[in-house]
Amino acid sequence: MEKVIIIRYSELHLKGKNRGWFERVFAVNMEKSLKGIRHEIHRLSGRYLVENFSEADTEVILERLKKVFGIHSYSVALKVKADMQKIFEAAKQVCFKEGSFKVETHRADKSFKLNSMQISAEIGGRLLDEIQSVKVDVHNPDFIINIDIRENGTALVFNEFFKGAGGMPVGTSGKGMLLLSGGIDSPVAGHMIAKRGMNIDCIHFHSYPYTNLQAREKVIELAKQLSTYTCGTTLNIVSVTEIQEQIHKNCNGDYMVTVLRRFMMRIAEQIAIKSGAQCLITGESLAQVASQTVEGMTSSNSVVKTLPVLRPLCGFDKDEIIERSRDIGTYQTSIEPYEDCCTVFLPKHPVTRPKLADVEAEEDKLDVRALVDRALSTLEIINL
Amino acid sequence: MIYFDNAATTKPNERALKSAEKYLTEEFYNPSGLYKSGYNLSLLLKEARKNIVSLVADENKFSCIFTSCGTEADNQAILCGGKRGNIVTTLGEHSAVYEAVNEAKQRGIEVRFANLNSDGSVDSEHLLSLVDEKTSLVSVIHVNNETGAINDIADIAQKVKVKNKFTLFHSDGVQAFGKINFRLNGDIDLYSVSAHKIGGIKGVGALIKRKDLIIKPLIFGGGQEDNLRSGTENVFGIKCFEFAAKERLSGLNQAYDRILALKILFCRLLDSTMFDIISSENGSPYIISVIAKGVRGETILHEADDKGLIIGTGSACSSNSSKRYSRVMLACGLDKESADGVLRISFSTESTEEEVCTAAKILNETVANRRRLMA
Repeated sequence: MEKVIIIRYSELHLKGKNRGWFERVFAVNMEKSLKGIRHEIHRLSGRYLVENFSEADTEVILERLKKVFGIHSYSVALKVKADMQKIFEAAKQVCFKEGSFKVETHRADKSFKLNSMQISAEIGGRLLDEIQSVKVDVHNPDFIINIDIRENGTALVFNEFFKGAGGMPVGTSGKGMLLLSGGIDSPVAGHMIAKRGMNIDCIHFHSYPYTNLQAREKVIELAKQLSTYTCGTTLNIVSVTEIQEQIHKNCNGDYMVTVLRRFMMRIAEQIAIKSGAQCLITGESLAQVASQTVEGMTSSNSVVKTLPVLRPLCGFDKDEIIERSRDIGTYQTSIEPYEDCCTVFLPKHPVTRPKLADVEAEEDKLDVRALVDRALSTLEIINL
Repeated sequence: MIYFDNAATTKPNERALKSAEKYLTEEFYNPSGLYKSGYNLSLLLKEARKNIVSLVADENKFSCIFTSCGTEADNQAILCGGKRGNIVTTLGEHSAVYEAVNEAKQRGIEVRFANLNSDGSVDSEHLLSLVDEKTSLVSVIHVNNETGAINDIADIAQKVKVKNKFTLFHSDGVQAFGKINFRLNGDIDLYSVSAHKIGGIKGVGALIKRKDLIIKPLIFGGGQEDNLRSGTENVFGIKCFEFAAKERLSGLNQAYDRILALKILFCRLLDSTMFDIISSENGSPYIISVIAKGVRGETILHEADDKGLIIGTGSACSSNSSKRYSRVMLACGLDKESADGVLRISFSTESTEEEVCTAAKILNETVANRRRLMA
């Protein structure tokens, strides 16, 4: 009797001719997430089986698989020979000691001597005889004992379905460049897009020496946390110190954030294109702060020449974003009190509805190209 | 690299490390052990206790409890000394005292804070006016860790005792011990010190206490330190501390005069159009607080760091406004903008004139550069 994990995938069955490719990417992602743990992954029809792992690693494996996109549900099962006595012994092990139950059987091997109903009835009957404290309730049971008779002469017996991360395997929807600030929102935005199958690279802008090394460490930590969902990531770190200083010196201070965001978008787009990313992703949420108005977005969007900008959080309230942030495990890091962008330069009254012409007029006071080039020369790449 | 953040920690005294090395390797025994090797260590600890106390007090009247740090010593003094009525302290305390009195407040004890003068010393008249018949403990920092201001604790303690002879008097002496000439008198009941501020290693402190004073432990267990602080003693750390403290105290006055000359030189070399000096001339020469006018202290700290100068700061780039500004600086009367520009330069006995000249030059250049960029 061996402990195994059954993995059922979500939308892959909807895919047509490229289903094989989807499944391969999915399997590779699972392998990556279980790196360092002894195991084998085998494909069965419509599901995968994780086998040959040490029982002591079960919890770690489940913890990691929880973060693999594309998994609809999973179960910890006992794998036995497809023999009624062995199946009964396994069923006895997974049967709770109190409450009501029923047995459900799925029979992929149609040559098995009993049909599904007969298997369920016999195993259920024997369990009732053996464990006095349980009873049968086929309509509203407290738990279900599932028996899955496979084609290869084995049977899987389990009692629970756990919900997986859902979504599509990361890598099946291209690659995006996430603007990662260090706040609560951007990791959530990255997670949402990764869930739909996109590989995520990150870019972070800092203003050292106006900000400190702890702020940088915090962003590295956030990228690392996000990378557990995306099978790794690349973090690009760029200094915008000089840009902030130049805006401060030459432009109307109220436009600091608006103009700075345009620089960030320009730099992000260039690095994205170079690294093969096909879109930019931001954590903007409509009307959350002064710069996140539709006018603000128009202003920052207008400098992005070729890539789409995805803003998955636009329709979310802050509360909803915080809840998601807690769920994915980035919240505690996000709220560490290190400034990601120095407030020394932040205006007291930032423009909230910038007119594009005004923003461009402010920007005309700067040598945009040279500033972007010099910022790009500070690029530091960390593979996580 | 020039290291001028000695109020945070000092480089360990190599002679002290060497002299105590054998307590890490050969003489590793537990001093509570009943066998000879353990017993011998317990005798050494007894001797170290006496030696350290004798450097600042009469060892017949005072003893000490070895702790894991100055913070622990402060916590024991506050939480085990201030048991009822009210505690009077100052707005210039180190967090070790400030947070401990806040905890005492949570436990139902009233806490009263005395105001500061602009150099960070306590307004002693205000402090005395807060002491009444219900005051169980007064705690006054000896040398302010941010500005270097020296409080005349002997005088304050004496006046406190006149108002209420049952009040315990504690002082956090972490930045004073081994740096300024001082001896504890009978009005001071408890005095906290730390090893790593004077060339000892991190992880060792002591609460010097009047011998006849009964104070409860903060940490319970095997009954070490006469039942006042359980936990196996850090023999190596304590022996390092003893050695470093003896060395510091033996050359204390000489070092004081030399460091004072460095302080005067440093203040003269700083460009007065860019820096305001908070620390008073009468303060400890080891600590100088300045305001870099119109710029943020942490920005200067990072840039100076990149240029080879390590200093401290009174503020941090924290988005949490309660942590961003030093409460002590605000209590000295600084506005938030000035508090944002505070830098702390702190010397050790190893600091040199050449380093002081280079440091002043780096700071002048750095602030000038930042001000130009941010103008």
